[in-house]
Amino acid sequence: MTALRDAPTAASARPTRAEARTLKKADRRRRFLRDRALVVMTLPAILLVLVFNYAPMFGTLTAFQTYSIYAGFWHSPWSGLTTFRRLFSDPLFWSALENTLTLSLVQLVLFFPVPILLALLLNSVLSTKVRTFVQSIVYLPHFFSWVLAITIFQQMLGGAGALNQFLRSHDIGTWDIMTNPDTFKLLVTAQVVWKEAGWGIIVFLAALAAIDQQLYEAAAADGAGRWRRMWHITLPGIRSIVVLMLVLQLGNVLTVGFEQMLIQRFAVGRDASEVLDTYAYYYGVVNANFSIGAAASLFKGVLSLILILTANKVAHLFGEDGLYRR
Amino acid sequence: MTSLDRRRFLELAGLGAVSIAGGGLLAACGDAKTGGGPGTTDQSQLSKILPAFVPSTALTPDIPGVAGANGFTSTPVFLKYPASPVTTVTGVPGKGGSYTTMTPLWGSIPSSKGNSYYETVNAALGADMKMQPADGVNYDKILPPLFAGNKLPDWLMIPSWNMGNLGFADAVNKFVDLGPYLSGDAIKAYPNLAAIPTAAWQSCIWNGKLFGLPTFYSGATAGGALFYRKDIFDREGINADSIKSPADLEALGKQLTNPKAGQWAFGDFFDYMAHVFHYPGDPYRWTVDASGKVVNRYEMPEYLEALNWFAKQAKAGYVHPDALAGKKEEGKQRFWSGKEVITGDGTGAWTGADEESGRAANPAYVKAAFKILASDGKPAMPMNPAASMYSFLNGKLSADQIKECLAIANYLAAPYGSTEWLTVNFGKEGVDYTMKDSNPQLTEKGSKEVAQTYQFLVTPITPVPVNPGHEQVAKDYAAWEADMVQHAVKPPFYGMNITEPAQYANLNQPMVDVSQDVRYGRKPISAFTDALATWKSSGGEELRKFYEDVKNKYGTGQ
Repeated sequence: MTALRDAPTAASARPTRAEARTLKKADRRRRFLRDRALVVMTLPAILLVLVFNYAPMFGTLTAFQTYSIYAGFWHSPWSGLTTFRRLFSDPLFWSALENTLTLSLVQLVLFFPVPILLALLLNSVLSTKVRTFVQSIVYLPHFFSWVLAITIFQQMLGGAGALNQFLRSHDIGTWDIMTNPDTFKLLVTAQVVWKEAGWGIIVFLAALAAIDQQLYEAAAADGAGRWRRMWHITLPGIRSIVVLMLVLQLGNVLTVGFEQMLIQRFAVGRDASEVLDTYAYYYGVVNANFSIGAAASLFKGVLSLILILTANKVAHLFGEDGLYRR
Repeated sequence: MTSLDRRRFLELAGLGAVSIAGGGLLAACGDAKTGGGPGTTDQSQLSKILPAFVPSTALTPDIPGVAGANGFTSTPVFLKYPASPVTTVTGVPGKGGSYTTMTPLWGSIPSSKGNSYYETVNAALGADMKMQPADGVNYDKILPPLFAGNKLPDWLMIPSWNMGNLGFADAVNKFVDLGPYLSGDAIKAYPNLAAIPTAAWQSCIWNGKLFGLPTFYSGATAGGALFYRKDIFDREGINADSIKSPADLEALGKQLTNPKAGQWAFGDFFDYMAHVFHYPGDPYRWTVDASGKVVNRYEMPEYLEALNWFAKQAKAGYVHPDALAGKKEEGKQRFWSGKEVITGDGTGAWTGADEESGRAANPAYVKAAFKILASDGKPAMPMNPAASMYSFLNGKLSADQIKECLAIANYLAAPYGSTEWLTVNFGKEGVDYTMKDSNPQLTEKGSKEVAQTYQFLVTPITPVPVNPGHEQVAKDYAAWEADMVQHAVKPPFYGMNITEPAQYANLNQPMVDVSQDVRYGRKPISAFTDALATWKSSGGEELRKFYEDVKNKYGTGQ
């Protein structure tokens, strides 16, 4: 990134276009030679992205075919936009999209701030021992699979779980948490908070650690209290990373926990739990109707790309770095 | 990093596309023919394809099979394994070939590393069979990507109830047509395969060709049964024989539900209620009504009645909350530990092994099945095809490999009472099993290593399995089945292997979802009738036409 900034070097007089091109070329060559070690280091990552992200994009072609798993890719007849027309006329698809968006919104409001708050809280704990202890405990659920996480929820909060059996034994009415479609979005968010919030604080803790300690000392010397230091030093210090995470999150608005929904589908029913990913799975993969699945996923991908670019643009407008520095 | 940015934000095509691309890129110039026929075969053609039947003259069972209604017979029982088992295969059948397999497994999957059971059986077979059992509960979701990715193993088991979403009339073309090797007298080269009854072979035929090797076939295959905890019934003084109708069951719901003690009367046994209310259960979704019209089960008042009945139980609080949370996988544990008193399951799960698991959870555990219940006082049990699980050989195998696999199949099909049967089912004596009370019993090592894997490739006529110390289970099962076959009926489209056109594959999912919503009490019955109207207009009527055509052209399998 910095290389871009010191790019124009010895251009005293305005060069002709041809000259500029040669200059640019030479410059690129020079930069490549300088950074070659770094470039080589990115190769495995590029390969990974090519193989697992770009190569599978071939498959989206099936969205424009009447794809049969037996005829395969090369022999399935083309169908133009028929699949998309079918998809967009399917009320189940729109209800899946609606679920996805509301769930995303709920998570944006209720989940996104949690790791930031947790990080701020942890950062204010002075004892390293306590900090490491708390940190390890809140990290832990991240390493559980969703099956396990939801089983734990079911064992604790389910109709025959610890909480309800306790309520029953004291003749207090039971509380339907796990199978109530109306509050499912909150349940799902609670599960995400329990499982992922601890893991989410890592990046914010790193950002907090990067803040120059001298700033705090200077502010304290000037008589700034706890809250003033937080407001004027801590928050501006992590603002760019918060914005970056927010932009990334917006790109993920249409991805809301496929496994989590799949496992709990029978508990709350299709209406509450169907999201775009499970729609693509049930109507695409399970019933071997891959064209519909590919069309739904392509729709999701394009929309996500638009969202992430827009969010990035907005971040730039507000003078933030966003995904990359301009 | 948060959970969100760990995911690939440029994941353009999502989950589906990964498998699609695999399929697309790997599916070489395959068969361009799609949307094949209905898959079924007419009677005159069948006789040309079916292998000859040379019954095994092995042993006389302790409890012989009982003849029931409509030509069905119950399964025989051998209470003791023969003291001197016969040997039916000389030498090793294999030629050292190496084959990958995939079979469903309903249970924990054993480690293949250092698995002496696999090693023993492979040594006996003279081939390197790579056993890859996959989760049976999710098998229907594992198969389509496998086909799409063209990653089929050399030898693959597919249960009939997982064929619906595969477009099976097309799918079978990926497999070897076994006709040239087995039809007519050709099968006599494989005597143990020749002892497989004709009815079982008949269910292995698609598009007029013999594709499958049958496993766990029987003279009367029921879609499952309603089970109860006999120990709890005895304690409560309930006589199970007096339970004859859904209304009787409902009364039990009240009596047996005690949430404070962690006991609920019912599990989610809705899938085992079809015969009680007289609508077609899986694998049959279509039937012919009294006027001769082809109707789907969703259109039948009987189906609505069943939904209503179950919803009532759910709302009354008689169904275990975890069952209503869709936790099907743990259903057995709940039954074993007495959290659910009445459940539904396949009859294959009524074994000594089940009793052992149940006793581990509760020493008093005794499992029993209700006699056939009926909503109208007329018990009837529609029979599944003689075989509803089949294995297939990959079409890429050479003729020599096919012959080697069939020789291996011949070994695996060795009858009960043979040394081969012991090896295939129990591994090595002294390591994986020991003989106890004249019956083989798995050792601790064996119970970790031995799983139903080879058996899902092909089986001989399978008697009721007897586990030492659990003879009573086999006797109870035989008695239940002897009663059940008296009510056995051939449902319309019996054993016809019909493949519905692919464009209707998605028709069923909304109905499955709404049925679940209604029977769990989440939605009113009107939601179901609304969904049914959509179902009819978005393809249901066309599918009826398809079945009408099948009925007119091929009959109804009666």
